[in-house]
Amino acid sequence: MEKFTFTVNGKRRTVEAEPNDKLLDILRENLNLTGAKRGCDNLSCAACTVVVNGKTEKSCMLQMKKVQGAEIVTVEGIANGMDLHPIQRALVDAGAVQCGYCIPGIVMELYATLQANPNPTDDELFSPLNEHLCRCTGYEAIKDGAKLAVEYMKKAKTKVIA
Amino acid sequence: MKQMTYVGKDIERPDAIGKVTGKTIYLDDVKLPGMLHAAILRPKYAHAMIKSIDTSEAEAMEGVVKVVTGQGSDIFYGDNIADQIPMAVEKVRHMGEPLAAVVAETLEQARAALKGIKVEYEPLPVYTDALEAMKDDAALIHERNGEYWHLPTLPPVPGTNVACHYTLNKGDIQAGMKEAEVTIEGEFDYPLGSCAAMETHGTIAWFKEDRQIEVWSTTICPFIVREDLAHAYGRPIGEVRVHVVDLGGCFGYKSDVTIEQTVAYIASFVPGHPIKFMSTRQEDFTSTLLGHGIRTRMKIGAKKDGTVTGIEATVFHTTGAYADTGVNVAMAAAHNAGGPYEFPNANLQGYSVYTNTPPVGAFRGYGHQESHLAVEILMDRLARKLKMDPFQLREKNYLGPGKTTCLGEKLWKTNGDINATVTKVKDALFKTPKPKEDDTYVYGRGFAAIMKSPKGAPFSTKGAYLKFNHDGSVSVNCGGAEVGQGLRAVVKQVTAEALKISPDRVRSFDEIDTQYCPYEWQTIGSMFTTQGGRAIVRAAEKAIAQLKKTAAQVLRVDEDFLEYDGDSVFLKSDPSVSVPVTEICRGYMYPDGITVGEVVQATADSRLPRYSGPDQNGQGNMGVSYTFGAQGCDIRIEKKTGTVFVDHFASSFDVGRVINPMIIRSVVAGGVVMGIGAALYEKLEFDEKGKMKNPRFNQYHIPRFNEAPGKQTIEFVETPGEIGPFGARGIGEHPLLGVAPAIVNAIYDAIGVEFSEIPVTPQQILAAMSGNDKKEV
Repeated sequence: MEKFTFTVNGKRRTVEAEPNDKLLDILRENLNLTGAKRGCDNLSCAACTVVVNGKTEKSCMLQMKKVQGAEIVTVEGIANGMDLHPIQRALVDAGAVQCGYCIPGIVMELYATLQANPNPTDDELFSPLNEHLCRCTGYEAIKDGAKLAVEYMKKAKTKVIA
Repeated sequence: MKQMTYVGKDIERPDAIGKVTGKTIYLDDVKLPGMLHAAILRPKYAHAMIKSIDTSEAEAMEGVVKVVTGQGSDIFYGDNIADQIPMAVEKVRHMGEPLAAVVAETLEQARAALKGIKVEYEPLPVYTDALEAMKDDAALIHERNGEYWHLPTLPPVPGTNVACHYTLNKGDIQAGMKEAEVTIEGEFDYPLGSCAAMETHGTIAWFKEDRQIEVWSTTICPFIVREDLAHAYGRPIGEVRVHVVDLGGCFGYKSDVTIEQTVAYIASFVPGHPIKFMSTRQEDFTSTLLGHGIRTRMKIGAKKDGTVTGIEATVFHTTGAYADTGVNVAMAAAHNAGGPYEFPNANLQGYSVYTNTPPVGAFRGYGHQESHLAVEILMDRLARKLKMDPFQLREKNYLGPGKTTCLGEKLWKTNGDINATVTKVKDALFKTPKPKEDDTYVYGRGFAAIMKSPKGAPFSTKGAYLKFNHDGSVSVNCGGAEVGQGLRAVVKQVTAEALKISPDRVRSFDEIDTQYCPYEWQTIGSMFTTQGGRAIVRAAEKAIAQLKKTAAQVLRVDEDFLEYDGDSVFLKSDPSVSVPVTEICRGYMYPDGITVGEVVQATADSRLPRYSGPDQNGQGNMGVSYTFGAQGCDIRIEKKTGTVFVDHFASSFDVGRVINPMIIRSVVAGGVVMGIGAALYEKLEFDEKGKMKNPRFNQYHIPRFNEAPGKQTIEFVETPGEIGPFGARGIGEHPLLGVAPAIVNAIYDAIGVEFSEIPVTPQQILAAMSGNDKKEV
């Protein structure tokens, strides 16, 4: 066992873990952050996606030794109290939520995309979503939700400046 | 149609915010005090006698609390055929079967200890397809076939691997085929697949010291799980309590009892501890339930003018190692083989066949998509043979008011209007000429019409319980499983409409708990809106009657002079004489503190009108509305690679009444993409030893974001039904039914090759395009 220190959703956390333990297990078991979901364990569904140092990572295979000192954001960390993050609000408004198991991963994918680039082209916005399996929606409402998220993010920014 | 206030509007799903914030609790998120973890050993052979199991090494390993085998178990279970067992006893029948289990402090310890279990086998012949297992010299997978308890309507064939042989006769098939001037026949294959919900199956079982068995499971039939466990362990049904937290998708395979009996069996050896088992993705493929596995031989006879005279179909179902969960799928595939057409004469047969593959269970569509693949491809081929327009041929034969289904049920206007749905799809797709072949692509256009019969059982009721809180808000509980289909929004909207109150005043249930929820048979067959909604309307009527009864005392007038508008009860002839709902919903209090009346709370259920089992002809009354629809597509095939792109998919269904436009669209859009997966990508494959070759998401190809159609047209017809709330019929499974035949028909339209098996892969298309121009594959 070794000590790993990193921040999760802005809070400094230290856990004891094996260097090869997976971040998803640590988040879910040690830190009680169950928002990231386990859908496959072999990088093919992306339900476990979290943002590490600004980039999306599939936490089911991400070893703890790679997150020493990292800044991690999970789906639990982006709403402001009772106010949803614009991406979350957009997915709700677009009807993109059915069973919801893939949604935390999709929220975090869009979060990383839009943090890096608030004005993505369709391709920049949609390509990363090819990593994410959804069995319910047929992706149509997720696509609408992604577009709406871009809009809501811009509006939210304007609000802050105003 | 009657104008609705809250039904037909987009209200926000009650479960949406919990899901986007990651706070919704699914089974894998549940932790209980004292909880231990189980891992399950799967056999090395798909069919073998168990010579010995040595668990001693595993028992000594770190963290191990108990090692469990099936040796000595005499539990058999099943609601159709009691051929299921919680863990292999004398033999193993498929490679995903539970053979032994380890309970340990941690999941890692439990998994590690599996390696310490030594098993000796005596291998037996392996069959992965119904036709192989039906051969005369095939070894028996169940030596006791025929001895198991089974429903009287499911006849087994003892001494063979046929778990059930179902036959339906309508009219006189010999006369029908004699009358035919043209016949057309084919053999079609809809291979084994997985519902592959994003959440795998999981269960926590806890044999408590007070003799209660408490279970949390990813099931859509907690009441059946409860009854089956009570039966297996000799407890009163009320002593088994099943919880269902949110479900990460279902699509069929979380119905029936799947892993619950196995996890309970393991937990029964460790009383006092909750035992948790969560399937890995691989186990979700190999060790829960599969779908389809249906080969259909079909022959249709018709007159030269296109009027059909008869249909013969035989369904060969690779039902898997246990037939309890799959037997009705083969029956449904057989009795729905006629699709949306009236055949005056029919002989339809279904063979449920034991094989050394994981058991098949429900898959969204339940036998219909497999039959529709056959009948809708054959209708196109028949049209070509008759040199008729395929739409005209179909129109001549559609079921509708006054027509009779193969099951012998007469249809009415209230069963919906298939022609109206066909018109919508024609308008969306067939009015403009399709693009001409270019250097890169060749284009195709295909169509399929659909019929969905209901699925019931004699006691298949759904219940609702609603109570008025004293501020006038209403809490509603049902036993329906929210799997993503939006059921809780339906509950909210139907309650609001029935009670004439804003949906903001209605709180829908979240968790299901068999101790507190009204009884529901199981949430299957696209029937929650129809039946659960009806139960809510009935409960609402009772609640309104209670309000009027109290108001009658308060206002000193007979109840029949009173009217209710959601906020108050008032005198019809003089609305100024009224009392607010908030003053009577827990009884009424006079100024001196004396109260009269009762708390307004009502329960109701909703059963299927005159549902009956099959008679000697295999016919019967399914008791609920049939639903009709039409689907079509524009596709593009890349000539270099053979890849099929679905550019535009159009669907229309007569759903009777749309409850929530946004949710119903999303459900249809998702069903269409699931159908595209079946048509073009999805097939579970087995090697000769019975090992599944592709039980992972990087091997079993379900559609991704960039494989969804470029455009979907989704439109509804609303011819009210008689049973569902405000005329609504079901829609959950329907979007899948016509997708594969529409795509296969479009591929023919593009390249002139008749495919009969799915998925149609780019390799097959390339081979077909480079070979003879017109041939059957």
